[in-house]
Amino acid sequence: MSDIKLHYPYSTLPEALMAAEDDAPFVTMWHADDDFETVTFGKFKKMAAGQAVYLRENGVGLKDTVVLVQPQGIDLMASFAGALLIGAVPAILAYPTFKVDPAKYRFGLNGVSANLRARAIVVDEHFPEELLANLWRGDNTRLLRSVRAEAADAAGFEVAAINPDDTAFIQHSAGTTGLQKGVALSHGAVLKHLNRLAEVLRLTPEDSVYSWLPLYHDMGLIACFMLPMVAHLPLAMQSPTEWVMQPKSMLEVITKYRSTLAWLPNFTYQFVARRADEYDEKEFDLSSVRALINCSEPVRGSSMDEFMAAFKKCKLPPNTLHSCYAMAETVFAVSQSDFGGAGAPVRISADSDIFRKEHSVAKSSSEKAFEFVSSGRLVPGTSVRIVSDDGRDLQEGFVGEIAIKSDAMLNGYYNRQDLTEKAVRGGWYFSGDLGFLLDGELYVVGRKKDLIIVGGENIYPQDIEEIVSAHPAIHDGRVIALGLFNTKLGTEEIVIVAEVREEGSLANAEEIEKTLSNEIVGELAVAARRIYLKPPKWIVKSTAGKPARSTTREKLLREHPELQILTGETFDDERSNTATH
Amino acid sequence: MNEATQQLINYIQSQVIRKKGVSIEADTPLVSSGLVDSLALVDVLAEVERVTKMRIPAGKVQPKDMDTINLMLATAARVGRARG
Repeated sequence: MSDIKLHYPYSTLPEALMAAEDDAPFVTMWHADDDFETVTFGKFKKMAAGQAVYLRENGVGLKDTVVLVQPQGIDLMASFAGALLIGAVPAILAYPTFKVDPAKYRFGLNGVSANLRARAIVVDEHFPEELLANLWRGDNTRLLRSVRAEAADAAGFEVAAINPDDTAFIQHSAGTTGLQKGVALSHGAVLKHLNRLAEVLRLTPEDSVYSWLPLYHDMGLIACFMLPMVAHLPLAMQSPTEWVMQPKSMLEVITKYRSTLAWLPNFTYQFVARRADEYDEKEFDLSSVRALINCSEPVRGSSMDEFMAAFKKCKLPPNTLHSCYAMAETVFAVSQSDFGGAGAPVRISADSDIFRKEHSVAKSSSEKAFEFVSSGRLVPGTSVRIVSDDGRDLQEGFVGEIAIKSDAMLNGYYNRQDLTEKAVRGGWYFSGDLGFLLDGELYVVGRKKDLIIVGGENIYPQDIEEIVSAHPAIHDGRVIALGLFNTKLGTEEIVIVAEVREEGSLANAEEIEKTLSNEIVGELAVAARRIYLKPPKWIVKSTAGKPARSTTREKLLREHPELQILTGETFDDERSNTATH
Repeated sequence: MNEATQQLINYIQSQVIRKKGVSIEADTPLVSSGLVDSLALVDVLAEVERVTKMRIPAGKVQPKDMDTINLMLATAARVGRARG
């Protein structure tokens, strides 16, 4: 670690937690302005030690895997920290919420818990009995109900002897159900990455974090739990479902707790901004914000502009909307927009024709140029290659798969050697994301599997979806553009499915489809083969609330057999029941 | 049938199910029967909050708590807090 400035000179995560001042505030779990709980680091340490004792009493020890299935909150965090204190290896799995399809949840829970082969599974007292059968249990697995317990004296608690190279915890790759991949990370790797992150974020003891991100996701776990825990910063937290029910609560919490940092997926910027007319600007004061970091989806400049336009009246300081490219496999951030200089992500305009035909970037100021927002500069200790389909390294400005090597990355997927061999080759992690490097900045343009290739031109579904979403009759964000391979033509064709805002609009479907077709041809110079307008709530959404591309694709093909003839694919109900995404 | 139940029946029939000829009652299974997509429950829960004038902490609501209108109202009574 000689080249890293050590902001946090600890060798293990328990050491970092125990070094916090007892009186310093740590986490506030916020439900409403009259319903919240704040604990100090001192109280949190006692809670964690209480959970550690409970786990030890139940036979859990060094290097044992502990599965935690509890609602977002302080008790879950204490269970996680408690497992760390005894050198066990915790893994947080998604908790069932009312908006998750129970069948899909059961399937995911079963697969993931079986792969983890846990020594103990800790669920909260309200975890539904009928779901317990879906938690894998071996002969030696203990099923425990979490109970809040505090050790009388955290300082007297005997922390296990842990080496920096020991696995600290397992975090799962994105998504909430399906057979997710578990990434095992060592204490040393996590701490090394947090030191790097502190450097690029120019973190100070005055910072404080806001989050509604789930703790089973890397953004929620690393940026919004491990970082404040190790850096001894306050955290104001909500549950994802409670935030989605009340989007403006995010602004309320940032105002109340004077939060300086938050990580948000791109959809949040539009989702909150488009409800801005329901808010009274005097209610919120966002002047404390140092950075709202757009992360985990391709970054759209338009979404960030909308957010800034809506909330500068709430004193959101200029140049505070940042970007980041992150994943569980590299602990968290691969790149981060520069906090110095202009203080905002670099944006470039590129010739659309050249981009689509040659998959390369030529700067252009034409009206039809594509805009790309950088995901920032590589975090120190990280290297990136841009690789072509045939495995060649591409030059700056050419689009290919992003492969990453860092000094704090996964050793492999937990108990999945097969998946590890597929994704990690020669020490490089192949992300499945497409992007390019230019002038030292990394640009992420989409998922490799979502790219539509029409007659040799590269079309990104997001560009089509943005045009369709802008039509007043279409429900914003509920549009999916797909490439379906036409076996006769030997190329992909674009098929779009979009939800209308009001069912009544379907009476004018033909007219709307025509307008949309013209707009797509006008802006992108490609034609969609078919546009299907559907009533509200037709598109299948993922548990994160975003349109689920592969499941919607299957639904569309089932409802429109004419497309199956086009692609030569068939979809029966049996396949749809086991689909994951 | 009380007013809250009737309002929820009307809302779910007209705004969520949107199929002619489908009528539901207070104890009709909605999600487990496939009538209501579980993701539409965000809107349904917001309507339950509006109708009952309660704030319901979404983090404390399980799928089974939302399967019928009777269960939704029982859940509101159990975990809801009167709006201030």
